[in-house]
Amino acid sequence: MPHQLTRNFCIIAHVDHGKTTLSDRLLEYTNTVEQRVMTDQHLDAMDLEKERGITIKSHPVTMRYHAKDGQVYKLNLMDTPGHVDFSYEVSRSLAACEGAVLLIDAAQGVEAQTVANAHLAFGQKLKVIPVINKIDLPSANLDLCLKQLEDILTISAEEAILASGKAGIGIVDILEAVVQRVPSPRWTDYAQTRALVFDSLYDSYRGVISYVRVFSGAVRAGEFMLLMSNSAKSEIKEVGVFMPKMEKTASLGAGDVGYVVSNIKDPSEIKIGDTLTLSAKPAAAMLPGYKEVRPMVFCGLYPVETSDYEKLKAALGRLRLNDAAFVYSSESSVALGFGFRCGFLGLLHMEIIQERIRREHDVDIISTYPSVVYRVVKHGDVTIEVDNPVNLPDPGEILEIREPTIKAAIHIPNDSMGDILALIMEKRGVVDHTDTLDATRVMLTCILPLNEILVDFNDRLKSVTHGYGSMDYELGEYRAADLVKMEILVNADPVDAFASIVHREKAEGKGRELCEKLADIIPPQMFKVAIQAAIGGKIIARDNVKEMRKDVTAKCYGGDISRKRKLLDKQKEGKKKMKQFGRVSIPSDAFIKVLKTN
Amino acid sequence: MSGLGTEQAKASAAAAHSGASAAEVPAPLGLYVHVPFCASTCDFCAFYQTQPTAGSVDRFLGTVRKEAELVNWDRPVHTVFWGGGTPGLLAPRDLGRLAEIVRAHCAGVPEEWTVELAPTTVTAERLAVLREAGVTRVSLGVQSFQPALLEALGRQHTRDRIFRAYERIRAAGFASVNLDLMFALPGQSEEEWAADVREAAALAPDHLSTYCLTFEEDTKLWVKLSQGRVKLDPEHEARLYEATWSQLEAAGFAQYEISNFARPGHICRHNLNTWRMHEWIGLGPSAASQHGGWRGANVSDLDKWWTGVERGVRLTEDRVALTPRLLAEDALIFGLRMNAGVDLAAWRLRAPEAPWATVEDSLATLAAGELLMREGDRVRLTTRGRLIADTIGTEIMAAFEPLLETA
Repeated sequence: MPHQLTRNFCIIAHVDHGKTTLSDRLLEYTNTVEQRVMTDQHLDAMDLEKERGITIKSHPVTMRYHAKDGQVYKLNLMDTPGHVDFSYEVSRSLAACEGAVLLIDAAQGVEAQTVANAHLAFGQKLKVIPVINKIDLPSANLDLCLKQLEDILTISAEEAILASGKAGIGIVDILEAVVQRVPSPRWTDYAQTRALVFDSLYDSYRGVISYVRVFSGAVRAGEFMLLMSNSAKSEIKEVGVFMPKMEKTASLGAGDVGYVVSNIKDPSEIKIGDTLTLSAKPAAAMLPGYKEVRPMVFCGLYPVETSDYEKLKAALGRLRLNDAAFVYSSESSVALGFGFRCGFLGLLHMEIIQERIRREHDVDIISTYPSVVYRVVKHGDVTIEVDNPVNLPDPGEILEIREPTIKAAIHIPNDSMGDILALIMEKRGVVDHTDTLDATRVMLTCILPLNEILVDFNDRLKSVTHGYGSMDYELGEYRAADLVKMEILVNADPVDAFASIVHREKAEGKGRELCEKLADIIPPQMFKVAIQAAIGGKIIARDNVKEMRKDVTAKCYGGDISRKRKLLDKQKEGKKKMKQFGRVSIPSDAFIKVLKTN
Repeated sequence: MSGLGTEQAKASAAAAHSGASAAEVPAPLGLYVHVPFCASTCDFCAFYQTQPTAGSVDRFLGTVRKEAELVNWDRPVHTVFWGGGTPGLLAPRDLGRLAEIVRAHCAGVPEEWTVELAPTTVTAERLAVLREAGVTRVSLGVQSFQPALLEALGRQHTRDRIFRAYERIRAAGFASVNLDLMFALPGQSEEEWAADVREAAALAPDHLSTYCLTFEEDTKLWVKLSQGRVKLDPEHEARLYEATWSQLEAAGFAQYEISNFARPGHICRHNLNTWRMHEWIGLGPSAASQHGGWRGANVSDLDKWWTGVERGVRLTEDRVALTPRLLAEDALIFGLRMNAGVDLAAWRLRAPEAPWATVEDSLATLAAGELLMREGDRVRLTTRGRLIADTIGTEIMAAFEPLLETA
């Protein structure tokens, strides 16, 4: 099939605006998937994705569509991850397309992610097809949606297609629009073979399977491919397409979307956004947009049960196979024992990995306080990156600490403006400008330190807006800030797991809160135990653990000795599971509880 | 907390008073007889007991006699203690029969012979039999003087019965009389407890045992606790302990163990000997022994106990071999419950293989935390330490097995 009859597109939307249902309708209509297997097929996603209403992995599908012009088109539908943490992956999936269907929930209107996704699509110079979805809902407000389309997204309302994935309305219109409005594959006449790697999958038998969009030339089994970012060379074992299951084909040509199996077994060698070419006739230049993905958020992950260390290690190894953006290395903590320092693209990514470790790998884990990557400028013009407060140099060596910021788009109802402004101020944010979305909603564009949104920002946003607020963000620049390392001391010994880098003005409040929580959670001790928060040796907050008052058996005669010994033995075994801080025994779940209540 | 000076002085006096050290031979030998019968079960009681049936008392007495024949009596018995159950539930004639079995193993009359009696069982006739047999000490299970609390505990006696029983015991002329009291009872106020202590002291007994209510598994109270109907309050219990100790000290009763107080010369030697890890022989179901190289308890079941003994076998539970190291460990754990504390020198001699360096470290840590005092080779707990003697026991236990501790 000539590439003129191929269309590559994706569907982009805010969470819950109906992307999955609409995709299913397209697959059904084109008979890509039979209706009765449909449910099983499209639910082939992780529980977590369903729960959070987001897609973590991309699944491309090739459809055949008999268009009204009498031609049969090959439509490649690219799925895109639905969260800002994965914005680079989204951008690579978009880069594999020429068009995007932008879904807007007729009842919800334009939301934070709608705007962010639309901008990503414009950035990739995609043809955007606006679709107002769920028009059959009683609460649908078409006029508003169309107005927002023009005002906020600067797309002509005339282009909008009215649809309902659920009721099957507008499906043909969408398919026709894809054929008519989306351009045929670009850059096909480049002299050498070039294919964009937009995702990969690890298969324990076949090694790493790359998902590719071929722009020019062709790839076929038996040839040697070359990955241009790292010059990795490997024989191509198999190529194929997604129908939606993988189907082997003789070759993949210009404009095609499919997969490539090679000899590469190490997932870290296949980089999202890389350009695949042929080693016999390599391309002179890579496809645009490749970036080395770097984790932005770090935390320590430790097994709750020491004996689960190996199990956790294996779990991290397996997760990494399918998620090159996730990195880890071993570390140890006085408080928590042996564990791993893990890096993530963002908060959601971190939460998802942690949940998967717990659910899919059945390891109970504890996470230390998350940290962003700071840039520390030292004397002598040396800049180092620090992702663990423990590694922060002595204050005397530091000239300046810079922290990453984000540019956030926050959509809120008008009436929560006051609360949100207070929240942004509390989080050291600055509002850049405000846009009115409609009579009841506004969008704030603001700059916030990434560190400040790590823990509870989204929850608080949801809480003050009664669930109506939403936020999307992109990473901004590094900015200098008055940051200090705050340590928590138990009986004058620093506890590494609680060290954090905080803004100087917030240190005291946070220190007091942590001391109070620890003093409350640590069970009564035999000896006096002080919990202190300190900055560079200066105590800024303190509290005391309760002293044990009474633990004595009243009756202890000849007949009681054996029984008493058993009881004491049990108590003693319990104590062995505790962490020793000098004379103080602290159960490891005390740290867990403190970290969890944060 | 009282000043360390006074406490040290008191403890030294008690130490001098209690005399013999662990190294002396022959060590005293005790005899404990468990009489397993009760008319009903009290809510707080975890001791093995059963309701007497026709013929069961006869069979019990016959079996005690047979069990005594199975024991290797390597030396005469110094102290005797009858507990239960309710030993006083036995008829006067049966008490006499039990006394006969006991006397057969004593060189003459034991130095100290205690019998536990419930107020309802105290009759002139029983007391006469016991006095005649050579019993020197009666322990009366008062528990409380408050009618409502007696009722709540499921006790069978009334307040008047306590006074009548006490008068009769005094009239019978026993050398030493103890009253058992309980505190931290559900619903009991601090004032009510102070009143109980006052009333007990006013009777001028020779000895007082005050027991903080313990929630033992297999008791009705445990069931209530686990269902959330009774709440534990360590702070409240600690205050009651402290109040008791100072109230009794002021009334002339010196504390010599967590729960025990005596006028001069009335410390219970039988119990002292167990805390010093000497030896004792236990007869009757559930009775514990520490004798002849092992420690253990008879099976806690009347049927199993007597069937075994009738076949010539003492069925035991929780049996362990006694080693100097284990005895040294227990002498510390249980000895520290006594105000006089423990003489380390004697135990170091007896168990040189014990990990004394680790033990010393642990003791030093406890001393630094003002939970323990050291005077030469004698160690004892401070008031605050005594209130957390179990936790300290676990520290000692851990110190005795340094090889198992991982860094």
